[in-house]
Amino acid sequence: MNPFQPFYNMKIGVVDLSASSADVIPLVQEQVSRYLGGAAMNSAILKGCQDDALVFSTGPLTGSFAPASSLMTASFASPIFKRLCHVPFMLRTGPDMKFSGVDYLVVKGTAPEQSILHVNHGKIRILPAGNLQHMPVPDVIRKLEKAFPPFQSFIITGPAVDRGISYASVSIGPNGSLDKAGLASLMAAKNLKGIMFGGTDGLPFNRDNPHQGKELEKIISTDKNFKHRGFYSVLKKLEGGKDAGKFLKASRKKDMACYHCPSPCMTHVRYSWHDPRNKEMQNSEDGLLLLDHTGYVTLAKKVGKNILPALQSCLQYGIDPAGVADRLSEGRTLRECLNTIDKIVSDNPSGMTEVLETYDVFGGGIPPILKGDLWEKRVGLAMVLGVCPIFLLRFPQITDAALLSFISTREDDLKTMREGLSSAIDFLFTA
Amino acid sequence: MAEQDFSLNLDDLRPHHAEKRHLSDYFMPPRHSFIVFHPDRCTGCGACEMICSTRNVAKIAPVSASVKVVRDEKEGKNFSILCQHCREPLCLPACPTRAIEKGDDGIVRISRLFCTDCGLCTMACPAAAPIKDPGSQEIHKCDLCEGDPLCVKHCPESALTFTRGKAFRWIKGLRWTVQLLSFLLLVIVFVGTFCYFKTGNVSFACPTGTLQNIVSSGTIVLVGVSSALALLILTVMAGRLFCGWVCPFGFVLDLVDKITPRKIGWPSFLKSRMTKYGVLAGAVGGSYALGFQVFCTVCPIGTLCRSYGVQSFFKSAELAIVPVLASLEIAQRRSWCRYFCPVGAVLGLTALLRLIKIVIGAKMCKKFSCIQCAEVCPVGIIDADKLREGLSPKIPMTECIMCMRCIDRCPYDAAKIRFRWQKAVPGEGRI
Repeated sequence: MNPFQPFYNMKIGVVDLSASSADVIPLVQEQVSRYLGGAAMNSAILKGCQDDALVFSTGPLTGSFAPASSLMTASFASPIFKRLCHVPFMLRTGPDMKFSGVDYLVVKGTAPEQSILHVNHGKIRILPAGNLQHMPVPDVIRKLEKAFPPFQSFIITGPAVDRGISYASVSIGPNGSLDKAGLASLMAAKNLKGIMFGGTDGLPFNRDNPHQGKELEKIISTDKNFKHRGFYSVLKKLEGGKDAGKFLKASRKKDMACYHCPSPCMTHVRYSWHDPRNKEMQNSEDGLLLLDHTGYVTLAKKVGKNILPALQSCLQYGIDPAGVADRLSEGRTLRECLNTIDKIVSDNPSGMTEVLETYDVFGGGIPPILKGDLWEKRVGLAMVLGVCPIFLLRFPQITDAALLSFISTREDDLKTMREGLSSAIDFLFTA
Repeated sequence: MAEQDFSLNLDDLRPHHAEKRHLSDYFMPPRHSFIVFHPDRCTGCGACEMICSTRNVAKIAPVSASVKVVRDEKEGKNFSILCQHCREPLCLPACPTRAIEKGDDGIVRISRLFCTDCGLCTMACPAAAPIKDPGSQEIHKCDLCEGDPLCVKHCPESALTFTRGKAFRWIKGLRWTVQLLSFLLLVIVFVGTFCYFKTGNVSFACPTGTLQNIVSSGTIVLVGVSSALALLILTVMAGRLFCGWVCPFGFVLDLVDKITPRKIGWPSFLKSRMTKYGVLAGAVGGSYALGFQVFCTVCPIGTLCRSYGVQSFFKSAELAIVPVLASLEIAQRRSWCRYFCPVGAVLGLTALLRLIKIVIGAKMCKKFSCIQCAEVCPVGIIDADKLREGLSPKIPMTECIMCMRCIDRCPYDAAKIRFRWQKAVPGEGRI
């Protein structure tokens, strides 16, 4: 009996953009038993693919009753780091991918024209998206909502990558993502504007899963991290994070969570500002969902109190704020900051691809709130099982055994899965 | 012989059930079960959707849930769409197959046997709470899990709470008790004490009578003025509490209202709340011209206090005034108080200096699906149209008789008493 059966659709979508073809093939059970899923499976798939292939995956727990089961992972050979990278995506993209009927999505080749993928009911369609080029991210979202079939979530690239900026970042919604490894560049090279997930199918579950989820919530609810929530709770653990967090004090805040996460680490801020580039414009109030902790800290170090409008500008262009920070000098006015960001996008000056300290095999967006081996183990566990890595870093008391028990509680299954998990995590760092 | 028609129609299959009314409903209407959503607590994790879908379609499929969480990315607010089990559901008459029924337990259910998934209920519902599953095209609607909602149990932030409504409306009980005691004291025991009462150094006088006395006599007696201040100070402290809780004629009007629940309507050309100020001006002017307290001779409060007591039973023609004016109650609730009462006019003017106000919270209030506060308000100052538009009505405190029926009746605890200078209304605190 396959313990993963209720947690996977057991389907891989394979898209060949060069041939404009999309197939859905069955997932081999042996592979699942060996690698479990997520980033480890991606590495295995990429081993057998051509160099520029791009794999999106979910873990066995993605979309399940396990807490913070929101993860989708994109694996590819990073054009920035020149190595295999795994970029995590949270919010609802992972569950919606699974609810769209595929567990893995392999994208090969280059499309003859700008395209966008629509995945739903276990089928993949390649749709033209030429009219979305050079549009700011919020406009692309509005256009998608009007023009394309209904979808629950999506990932898209912004205008920065259309102008060839290598440190552009993909966006999940209007609020950016943790992509700092050049996924957007790779998608642009493939003429792939984005992927939309319909998310209208469902996923079976074990009857005990809801109960197990509540039990885990009870365990972590006694932790002090459970009460200290929101963007700042993670920010303050980063170097320079406390200083950067001061710029949030004046704004109105509300904590937001990803799919089935009991302890939110994102915060929505509302702030009032005046665009100095447009003298006729009145003060306006804007909103921003802060989810990229490292990007925020890096940019705040350079722009100081102008962080929120500067970050908003980066997100509209679909550009990594950490990459922009590298270009900015300190002590600039808001007008200078915004003009520099505009200039970066319009001129695309060379020499902008320096690797920042936090960049790593997981794309550089996961905050280093634990140190050394422990960080790697927790993130590896999350990336294989399909649980949010930031959540597992914040709550180390959630063990691999507790998470694996969502899949099966049988002793022999658990033993096999633990062995598989251990080798899968090792494989992640060696592949 | 005529051929017998054996065909069945919709009325035979699904007959309309007349609403059963019991005598007890007049005193304690049936409890109204529903789920209250607290937007400030919701982090948008979607746990409610997950667990709800497991009941609807036996798998994890958030799009198939009967509850939907909508995230406003710009405003940073979360909204939930779920059935409020309205007292008078609009979906019920809209259903062409009569598949929707409201049970004796107050739960509005869709019968899968008769539902054709036409979606008319979704269009009829102001909250669009019957949700069409984009996958199966079925309509899903909350049935409160038959009284034990799963979404409430699984919400990690307690943003959803289940309530069975108020078991006992203590304000109602207290108000009737105080009204009865006031009536007994002022009308039966201490006859005539409302108009003027003095014992030792303590004295009390009707402010309207005092005003007429001053203008008719042309002299200001400080003792008289200070006697009238008691009621005015009470009004400054607590609004027109006298009208709602103490006034013996108001008590009579409330009793008449109980025995004449159906109203014949009040002519629109007489519907001016300014009329009572005209009556007050007329009373004062008449007193000045004629040299005696003109209005006091026909005042229903004074007449009631003077003529119906044990000592003055069957006294003169004054007896007729009370039933004549009380008969106005068959046209509209508290018609006398709304349009004519000069005592109310004096208290209304004093209420301009009030310290407290009644507010209806914008977020907690379910507005379009409820409007019970507007229905129970005896002086009709709560704007039901504003509520239907989704806006919090502004309550004119010069007209409010502080009966607190709205506070007592509101199932969402949205109606509250606040100090005049308090700007925050329930559920509208900073996020």
